Amino acid sequence: MKRYIIDIWAAATTILGGMGITLVHLFRAKNDNVTLQYPEERWPRPDRNIGFDHSNYNVIRSRLHVDMDDCIGCLKCERACPVDCIKIETEKVPNRGEDIKEIGHVGVTSNGSRKAMVVTRFDIDMTECCYCNLCTYPCPEECIFMTGGPNSDKHPIDYEFSEPNRNDLIYRFAKPGSREGMAKIISEQKAEV
Amino acid sequence: MTVDFIFDLLNQFLPGFSGNGFLLLFAMLIPCLILFGFIAVYALVVIYAELKVSSFIQDKVGPMGQGFGFHAGKWGLLQPVADALKLLTKEDIIPGSANRVLFIMAPFMIFIGAFVSFVAIPFGESIIVADLNIGIFYILGVGSLAVIALILAGWSSNNKWSLYGAMRSAAQIVSYEIPAGISLITVIIITGSLNMQEIIAYQQGGIFNWILFDNPFIPVAFVIYFISALAETNRTPFDLPESESELVAGFVTEYSGMRYAFFFLSEYANMFVVSAVAATGFLGGWQSPISGYLDSPGWSVFWMMSKIAFLIFIMIWIRWTVPRLRVDQLMNVCWKVFLPIGLINIFGVAIWTVLLGS
Repeated sequence: MKRYIIDIWAAATTILGGMGITLVHLFRAKNDNVTLQYPEERWPRPDRNIGFDHSNYNVIRSRLHVDMDDCIGCLKCERACPVDCIKIETEKVPNRGEDIKEIGHVGVTSNGSRKAMVVTRFDIDMTECCYCNLCTYPCPEECIFMTGGPNSDKHPIDYEFSEPNRNDLIYRFAKPGSREGMAKIISEQKAEV
Repeated sequence: MTVDFIFDLLNQFLPGFSGNGFLLLFAMLIPCLILFGFIAVYALVVIYAELKVSSFIQDKVGPMGQGFGFHAGKWGLLQPVADALKLLTKEDIIPGSANRVLFIMAPFMIFIGAFVSFVAIPFGESIIVADLNIGIFYILGVGSLAVIALILAGWSSNNKWSLYGAMRSAAQIVSYEIPAGISLITVIIITGSLNMQEIIAYQQGGIFNWILFDNPFIPVAFVIYFISALAETNRTPFDLPESESELVAGFVTEYSGMRYAFFFLSEYANMFVVSAVAATGFLGGWQSPISGYLDSPGWSVFWMMSKIAFLIFIMIWIRWTVPRLRVDQLMNVCWKVFLPIGLINIFGVAIWTVLLGS
């Protein structure tokens, strides 16, 4: 009989205690919850100083970016790529080092090199890219680089680049219309000759 | 809102049809349609409340969305609507080896059991569909229709899990009717009436005239009734019939789409009915807690609904706190704890009423 009453008392008190805990959580939910409403809220970008002298270590590799005004079309990055995700096509310019206004071609790079080629296609398939960073070292003009890390002054870190369509992950860096523009210029040259 | 009132109104406005039997049918149909609409809307609200309360208790945020597109609305307000639409458009599957007739009948039977009880629930002095003189007895009796429907669902599914769930629910509901009835008998002893309106009329005059505070035995009866009601509606500490970790979904395992929605709806409707009985029997029904304050017919609906909402909140709160009982524990609690305490309670209330009652 004593056991019976103790059991009932224990059941009642433990259930009430548990309900007290859940009630506290019910009213503290706003402070305690850790859910991030993702598309509306985002985590802050990671702090770039991870303990190294980060100007020497390209530790944050978010994605490849090409500064097309500096690209001379030397194909060194295409050859360096272990998975062949970079596709480059070039055309010879009529006059070396001169701007071609119609297709937005810049004749001289920021290093002072006079360009001999117009890049008509510069595609990087980011679904194939293995983020090895090998393409960035051979570049004589330092125009292909991984965003983030020491390059964060050139281009902001961007790590949310998923796309609904796979083809949207093939980044086309060549200036739009440069292929058609160059074809037209070359045919005009031939006509003159 | 009684049938007679609507019948008289129809007779007045449609003199050509007066005395026609169809008019009486219409008069009966109108409150039923109102109640059905009410149950559907109420279920959406309670499902939303359940989602949100459960999430907050677990330190989550629950359904969330921005705007009113396909994002489930601001704060996920449209989530229950989306759920209902999903259930409506789902494929209706009847297993090949199921007993077709009984399988189709079961969801309607269980909903009838819940729906018919609404007839006797008073929301105000004249806001009651049928003011039966055995109202509380009627609700208890009709409430046990659910057992038949559950057994039908379990048996006709031709599935082990369904059958186990149905057997458990039959044992559970039949057992827990007894403590529920015994604790309501104390109310009937005090008021001397089975009529819902007379029980409420007895509790006139503020919060301290409620039966809950009538004598020291009644709070015990209230707790016993409330826990038994949880068991009768298959809510969580007693959700053995559909315990998803053991029996997949119990008696609803084979149901999908609209038929499943009816089981779901009737569970929430049953919650409303048992809360309404508890509110009527113990918490003063549609009476205002302060005598003479906000007790017009409109406010009486508000008081009744807020008392029911409070009890339903406690049900949800218990659901997300207490783990499920074992079958033997379930029977232990019913037969070895609630039944003796309930009987002692009746004795105590009877003596109290004879010696100290008005």
